[in-house]
Amino acid sequence: MTTLLFFAICFAVLALCLIIRLVKGPSVADRAVAADSIDILSDMALVLYALYSGRAAFLDIALVTAILGFVGQTLIAKYLEGRL
Amino acid sequence: MMAALYVVYVLIGLSLFFALAGVVGMLRMPDAFCRMQSSTNIATLGVLGVIIGGIIYSFVFLHNGEMGVKLIVLGVFYIVTVPISGHAIAKGAYHHGVRPEKDMVCDQYGEDLEK
Repeated sequence: MTTLLFFAICFAVLALCLIIRLVKGPSVADRAVAADSIDILSDMALVLYALYSGRAAFLDIALVTAILGFVGQTLIAKYLEGRL
Repeated sequence: MMAALYVVYVLIGLSLFFALAGVVGMLRMPDAFCRMQSSTNIATLGVLGVIIGGIIYSFVFLHNGEMGVKLIVLGVFYIVTVPISGHAIAKGAYHHGVRPEKDMVCDQYGEDLEK
């Protein structure tokens, strides 16, 4: 279905818009949050492309990037807190 | 059959709307904590519509149980981990010295830290 591909492109464009916040963000926490949101939005684009093409391998990639984003953001938070 | 397809499209469209609202909030909110609040809007409501619509689509139209189960795992993972990482990054930002732009009326976390 082409509509799914259209939705996937919309999510990818939203993820590209967040790069503005990633470049401009005044504090470190802004940049970490923006990077995690880019991760989540590109994950959604991957899920929609997996539904469009019917291949389950893209869902594995989406799961791995979700886990890596969670671990990365929690580690950055611990480092900012000064307990790492 | 067509009704299920429209349900899937409406769910994904709602999720796209919430993701758009979150992105606009992240680009235009005044300080770091407001932007964190907008980013959780992306990570919960922006994800759940796509996941639920994808589960319906993969079970009804693709007849592919593997994709449906992987989507369920992905959705449960997001529901469990997004509050944890949001809480951790807000706490870390406070310790790092990020403060809201306007003067805070009360700062109970700071009072707890001083004890």
